[in-house]
Amino acid sequence: MNKNVDKTGLDLSRWRQVPTMLIVFGLASVGLGFLVQPPEPIRQFAFSWLLSFMFFLGLCAGALFLVMAHHLFDAGWSVPMRRFLEHIAALFFPWVFVLFIPIALMAKPVIYPWMTMTSPDHALHAKHPLFTIPGFYIVSVACLLTWWWLSNRLRYWSVRQDETGTAEPTYKMRFYSCLGIFLFAVTLTLAVIMWMKALQHQWFSTMYGVYYFAGSVWITLGTTYVITLVLQRRGLISEVLHNHQFYFLGSLLFAFTVFYAYIAFSQYFIIWNANVPEETFWYVLREKGTWWWVSMVIIFGHFFLPFLALLRIDVKSIFPLMVPLCAWTWLMHFLDLSFNIMPVLHPSGFVLHWMDIGCWAFMAGLLAKAFLRNFASTAPYPIKDPRLVEAMGLAHPVPTQISGGELDETDEIPAVHPQIHGGRL
Amino acid sequence: MGTHGTSLAIPEPPAELNRAPLVGNNRSLGWISNRVCSLTEGRAPIWWWILLIPSLALLGMLLFMLGYQISTGVGVWGNMHPVMWGWDIINFVWWIGIGHAGTLISAILFLLRQRWRTAVNRAAEAMTIFAVMCAGIYPALHVGRVWYDWWLFPIPNSNSIWPQFRSPLMWDVFAVSTYFTVSVLFWYMGLIPDLAVMRDRARTKLKQFAYGLFALGWTGSNRHWSNYEKAYLILAGLSTPLVLSVHSIVSLDFAVSQVPGWHTTIFPPYFVAGAIFSGFGMVLTLLIPLRSIFKLEDIITKRHIDVMCKVTLATGSIVGYAYGMEFFIAWYSGSPYERYAFINRALGPYWWGYWTMIVCNVVVPQLFWIKAFRHNLVVVFIISILVNIGMWFERFVIIVISLHRDFLPSNWGYYSPSWVDICTYLGTFGLFFTLFLLFIRYLPMIAISEVKGVTPQADPHHPLGGAKVKDMALHE
Repeated sequence: MNKNVDKTGLDLSRWRQVPTMLIVFGLASVGLGFLVQPPEPIRQFAFSWLLSFMFFLGLCAGALFLVMAHHLFDAGWSVPMRRFLEHIAALFFPWVFVLFIPIALMAKPVIYPWMTMTSPDHALHAKHPLFTIPGFYIVSVACLLTWWWLSNRLRYWSVRQDETGTAEPTYKMRFYSCLGIFLFAVTLTLAVIMWMKALQHQWFSTMYGVYYFAGSVWITLGTTYVITLVLQRRGLISEVLHNHQFYFLGSLLFAFTVFYAYIAFSQYFIIWNANVPEETFWYVLREKGTWWWVSMVIIFGHFFLPFLALLRIDVKSIFPLMVPLCAWTWLMHFLDLSFNIMPVLHPSGFVLHWMDIGCWAFMAGLLAKAFLRNFASTAPYPIKDPRLVEAMGLAHPVPTQISGGELDETDEIPAVHPQIHGGRL
Repeated sequence: MGTHGTSLAIPEPPAELNRAPLVGNNRSLGWISNRVCSLTEGRAPIWWWILLIPSLALLGMLLFMLGYQISTGVGVWGNMHPVMWGWDIINFVWWIGIGHAGTLISAILFLLRQRWRTAVNRAAEAMTIFAVMCAGIYPALHVGRVWYDWWLFPIPNSNSIWPQFRSPLMWDVFAVSTYFTVSVLFWYMGLIPDLAVMRDRARTKLKQFAYGLFALGWTGSNRHWSNYEKAYLILAGLSTPLVLSVHSIVSLDFAVSQVPGWHTTIFPPYFVAGAIFSGFGMVLTLLIPLRSIFKLEDIITKRHIDVMCKVTLATGSIVGYAYGMEFFIAWYSGSPYERYAFINRALGPYWWGYWTMIVCNVVVPQLFWIKAFRHNLVVVFIISILVNIGMWFERFVIIVISLHRDFLPSNWGYYSPSWVDICTYLGTFGLFFTLFLLFIRYLPMIAISEVKGVTPQADPHHPLGGAKVKDMALHE
């Protein structure tokens, strides 16, 4: 076996060093950030770290959601993508835990003003006991443990099915998804409130948890599209992939483009129209300085551009268009999170600091390395999943999204990649 | 383990995870046509008359009530300071919500390629249209002088009176009328191939003429099907944003205000989820008895019921999340008015309304997590009724409980509906069921051509569809 082809056959000869380079670049950028001496270097670092943390947290949470949604819907078409989504979700432990440590350490002295208020205002007093220092840490640990437990169980039973091929793991995964979707909704909402909304603890919006969720699933879908394409090009999942999976992923990306815009617009519009000062101050801050232009970029870049680009049915399967668009989702989501987090630090306008780039690159490199290690440890897709035949588009007695109709593919499928273990005659 | 002409072994799915067929007992294409068309052919069964007569009586009562309210004025309603929106708006939102399942099933599930929709979409779409008609009565009436309803539309007039476009009530007018128009178009267009079937089977000249007129000369040619499917896709694409926009705009009637309990940002998606929830509740209420009476168990199978129960469970849980978030943020905000509004909902004089809502909408649907309940039609039917009741109480909670205690205790009151409110509401059931009964009697309540499309015979890769048996090695 070629030394550059790892256990799963993922040829990374050209890209193997990229995660390490990102880590080194990230550390160097953070160091450079300290050297150029921003007015408040520690505070800048803390906010940059929080921004990147929320970005990658959204990716892991989005992957966990997609895995659970797969089981809850008893889906067939998404089987080939489920394994790497399980690996992304599994990054919660230990990596997201580890990445949270700096936030836990800097929460009181640097990040959250409510923690150091000597005389609590009414908004803070009303949130007792949730908005206390023990409350913050209890909620944070509870959220992280919940996500770890769910992602761990879902991956465990998925890998177990690779060996047995029985129905039991499917039932187990459904059970964890049923329970998990409730826990996920509660914990993600609480986490976003405690880690993002609490930057301005006076502000409140019932939509905020859904807002973060919508953006997170959006970038996860963009990421899923690109990873699926890479794995297909490498021949790792191509034999179980129908070309309609790309269309479906593109359609979901389109749906979440609209869903995010719907959520963001509803939140803004209701607050703007009612014009209650306790709520509008959050947006007023974000209309000052260059934040106004950031909001315009979000409106046009986060919604209109991908909306118009994805409107045509064929675009969803044109890779030279879709790959840049998926990369664009990352950029827009990063900007959207900046719009939510950074005005507290830079109220006069948007500032892209070296530390923003550094923290993001460091986390991206670290998580990519961990993901690749996880990916290499199992088969690249759930090789004995009962719904695999539907994903492949083979003839099926009961019509599904792909199988059992005009899209059936009964022609011979290409030979399997030699590195795949299991599931072969 | 099947091989399927490849070196890759495809695991045989465990038998217990096999998907149930969409048409039971391998029914033939001819059987589907005969079964569905027979419902409209021959003499009307006794049960149909037994249902139609009371429905007509209720419809008569509705007409009388409308005449009474128009001639007397809407002061005969129970609306009284401080509750100036009462059963009129509750019932408007309730009926509009019920309509949502039809368009969701016909449009959104079509785009999502959920093929099970074919057995239930026709009846659900009809339900949508009739429910929106019932809903439309209330806003038309509540203006007081119905002969000025045309002022709602931006028609140039000598007094230069224009609608107040900044009012969400005006947005309702445009959203609901657009929704109704597109829903009717979508429903009618889906009917065309089946109307042609009815025309070809008709034994009287009158029926041949009537069905033929509305079948628009359909011959089933390749060109007709091609145009039909393009138009169907376009209308599905147009209907999809309408499903979401209508109830979002209805939610804005409340959310853009500053009334505690109304002004909350989650209202649009929460209302949409609630509307789909109540719509599926009504679809189940209607179809469970009909499938037994008409012996449609092989078309509306237990799998269909099972899937609709799951949609009900999902949307009920989303609604539960919204209830929870409203309460949580009322506490979190620290606003004494918001906090009081929600405590008053749960513990105030209308506590029974709030807890009925919680039990029916959040607690009871959780039973659908259990397969045995999803497969017990009596249980499903009872739960579907409870969903309808719970969603009515949701609107009651939002509207009446939020209004009955204003900011000052001197502006507190207790709302009770008048006999006119109650009779008008019951009358709308008369309108709804009369139209629905006429629909199932004179039009195919199942989309014949679409159901045929999900049978194995329609699949060229299936042996029954003409595929060679060796291609099906996997499933032998």
